[in-house]
Amino acid sequence: MLIQNGRIHDGLGSVTTADLRLSQGLIQEIGQSLTPADGEEVFNAAGMEILPGFVQAISNWGVNGGIQEIRPSSNDNDEKSSPITPELDGFYAFNGRAATAQQLGAFGLTACGVAPTDNNLFGGTIAAFTIEGLNPYRMCLKRDIGMMSSVHPNLKKTYGTRPAAPQTRMWIFANFADQLRKAADYKKEDDKPADEKLIALKRVTEGELPLFISCDSLVAIQRVQEILSDFPKVKPVLVNGYGLTGREAWILENRIPVIVRTPTSPMDTEALELDLGAVARLMQAGVPVALSGSCGNSLNAREDLLWNSAEMMKVLHDSEAVLKMVTSIPAAILGIDQLTGSLRPGLRADLVIWNGNPMQTYQAHIVRTYLGGQVIYQEGDEMKCM
Amino acid sequence: MYVIQNGTLYTMDGQGVLQADLRMENGKITQIGTNLSTEGATVIDAAGKCVTPGFVDPHSHAGGLEASGEQDLNEMTNPLTPELDAYYAINPDSKDFRLLIRQGITTSCLAPGSANVVGGWVFACKSAGKDRVVKRPVALKAAMGINPKGCYAGKNQAPMTRMAIANILRGYLRKVKEYMDKKEAAGNDPEKLPPFDMGLEHGIPVLKQEIPLKVHSYMHDMMTVLEIAREFDIRITLDHALGASDYYEELCDPHVQGVIFGPTCEPLFGGEGGKLDPWCCKGLDDRGVPVAVMTDSPVTVVNMLTYEMGEAVRWGMDPIRALAMVTCGSAKILNIDSRVGSLTVGKDADLLIWDKLPSLHTDAILEQVFIDGESVYQKED
Repeated sequence: MLIQNGRIHDGLGSVTTADLRLSQGLIQEIGQSLTPADGEEVFNAAGMEILPGFVQAISNWGVNGGIQEIRPSSNDNDEKSSPITPELDGFYAFNGRAATAQQLGAFGLTACGVAPTDNNLFGGTIAAFTIEGLNPYRMCLKRDIGMMSSVHPNLKKTYGTRPAAPQTRMWIFANFADQLRKAADYKKEDDKPADEKLIALKRVTEGELPLFISCDSLVAIQRVQEILSDFPKVKPVLVNGYGLTGREAWILENRIPVIVRTPTSPMDTEALELDLGAVARLMQAGVPVALSGSCGNSLNAREDLLWNSAEMMKVLHDSEAVLKMVTSIPAAILGIDQLTGSLRPGLRADLVIWNGNPMQTYQAHIVRTYLGGQVIYQEGDEMKCM
Repeated sequence: MYVIQNGTLYTMDGQGVLQADLRMENGKITQIGTNLSTEGATVIDAAGKCVTPGFVDPHSHAGGLEASGEQDLNEMTNPLTPELDAYYAINPDSKDFRLLIRQGITTSCLAPGSANVVGGWVFACKSAGKDRVVKRPVALKAAMGINPKGCYAGKNQAPMTRMAIANILRGYLRKVKEYMDKKEAAGNDPEKLPPFDMGLEHGIPVLKQEIPLKVHSYMHDMMTVLEIAREFDIRITLDHALGASDYYEELCDPHVQGVIFGPTCEPLFGGEGGKLDPWCCKGLDDRGVPVAVMTDSPVTVVNMLTYEMGEAVRWGMDPIRALAMVTCGSAKILNIDSRVGSLTVGKDADLLIWDKLPSLHTDAILEQVFIDGESVYQKED
C-alpha cells in the first residue's frame, strides 16, 4: 500500500510532503517519489494531512460496568473493596468489543491506555490497547505499563462515607509513604507466605514500573514530591495536577511526565482549575505533557482529544506541539512509542488521513483511518449505533 | 456608549457579513455602517476581529444545579408539576453565569430538569445586566424516556414505562384543553369559571401556540412527541434529540418549532443513548428544520457550544450556518429573536469580539463580551 503526496505530520514535531509505504501492518518507508511496486495499491493523498492516530493516555474505553452491563455493577477498573490493590492488573478491565462498538477510528483515535481508577491509593497496573478488535490479548499493545496510584480526594469520597479509611488526607499521605517504605524494605521470607501487594509495589520502588499518581492540587504534588524524595528510584508520572503553575522546579528539572485533561467531561468542575497557560509553559520547557479525556473515572465523548487539542491551541498556538500531546507524548508515557504514536518506519501503521488539519480547523474531517495497516474507517462509512 | 470600529460583523440577519462600524447606546445597537461618528463614545478598534451576536443557549440549567448535587430544578416528588416555574430555582448570582460569559453565552434558556413528564415553565435569562429576564415563559418543559422512568420506577410509581409517559403527557394536555374550553365558555361570568388551577393555566399558552412544549426526547421518543403535537396542534421543541438523523422526513413538520441537539460529551450508550449523530445538524438545516445546539449547562462542559458548532462543521455544515445555531437560530426557536440573536439596529447590544471565527478555528479566542451595551468580560493580556 502506497499513500502518495500527503502532508505527513510525524507526531514528533515535523511536517513533510512525502509518500508513505505500508507493509504487513507497519510503516515500511517514508520518502520522496516512491515508486509503486507491481500490483501495489496506491492512494493519492495530495492536499491531505496525514497524522498519527491519537493515543488517549488514560481512558475508559472498553471498560464495562454500570449501565453498559446486563446487570448493575461497578466499572471493571474500579475495585472499591479496598483502597490498596496494587496486585491487580488493569488489563482485565478491558472488553475489546465494548471499545470497538464506539467506532473510535471515526474520531481519529487508534490506541488507549486503561488504568484502574483514582479511587484507590494504589489501584493496580495500567495496560494499553488498540481501539478495534475482539480479543483483548490481540488488541493489547503493552501490559505492566505502570502502577496507578492516587492521593486524590476521590479516595475520601469512595471510602470515607462508608465509613472507612481514608476520611482524611492524613491517612492518604501516611499510607502512601508507609506502603512505599514497606515495599522498598520487603524481602520474601521463606517461612512466610509472599505478600503480593508489597511484591507489586516493590517493582515501583525499584524503578521497574513507573508510578502514575493522581493529584488534585499543587499542594498534593508537593507532598508527593516530599515523600518520593526518600525513594530515588521511583519514576513518577503526574496525573491531573490542577493548580500547576508551570514553574515547578521538581517537574521542570526532572522532566516529570504529566497527564492532564481540559474540562470536556460532564460536571468536571475540577478540570476548570487547570491553568492552560501553565501547561503551555511546561511543554515549552520540554516537559512531556499528554492530554487525556479522563483519568479512568468518567465517560468521555469520542471527540474528546480533538476538543482537548482545541483548548491547547488557544494557548500554545503551535499545531505540531499540540499534536505531540495527543500522539507521541502519551505513547511515550505509556511506553508504546516504539509501536505507535508517531509516523516513522518500523512503527505500526496506525494513521489517519484528514482533509485538513484537525488541530487548526473544525472543517477537518477524516478521509481514512488505518489501524495496523488496515482501513477501519473511511469517509462515508455508516456510523455505528448501539 | 461604544463604537466598535472596522470589525468583521457577522450580523446573522439579512445583512450577512459586513466590514463596518457598530454603535451601541442605552443597551441597544443603534447604528451599523461605515465611518460612524465616534462622538461621546468609547472607541474599540476591531480591525481584523470577528464580531458576532452574543450566544443564545437554548437549553440550560445554569444557576439551578450544582456538581455537589445541591439543586432546585428537579422536583422529584410528582411526575406532573406544570405549575412550577424555573424562575424560582435560579440564583442569578451563581458563578455559573460568569463561566457562561467566558464562553460567549449572553442569554440562556433556563429549564426545569427532566425528572418529571411535565416539569414547569422555562424562561430566558441574560448572563449579566440589570434586567436579566428576557422572556418568561418561553416554553413549558416536558420529558420523555429514561429520566422520568428512572426517577419514579424505583418508587413503584408511574411512570415506570414509556407507555405511562405518553399517557401522562396526553392526559395533561387533554385536561388543559377542557380547562381552557370551560374558561372560554364562561366568558366574563365568574359563576361559570372552573376553579383556578395553576398547572393547567401553565399549559394554556402551549395549546394557544404562544409557547412551545420543550420536550427532553431522544430517538423514538421524538416520534411519540410528534404524534401528540399533531393531536393537540401544539408547537414543540425536541431537546437533546440524539438520533434525529433517523427521522429527517418526519421532522419536516410545522409542529416542530425546532430541534435543539446535544450535548454530545458522552460515548455511545445503549437504549436512548444508542445513537450520537452530530451530523444531524447539517441534515436538518439542509431540509429547513430549525436546528440549534445546547450546553445543558452546568451538567456538561465548558465551551460545549463551540465544540458542537465545530463538530457540525466537521460533518459538513457551513461555519456561518453553524454560528446561526447558537445565535439567530436558537433565538428564533425560543421566540426571543426580536431582542437577541443578531447584530441588528434596535436589538439588544449583546455581542462578542473574537480574534477568529469560533465555528471554524480551534484556536479562536473570545476577547470581549458585551451585554446590554456594557462590557462584562475582557480577556486578560
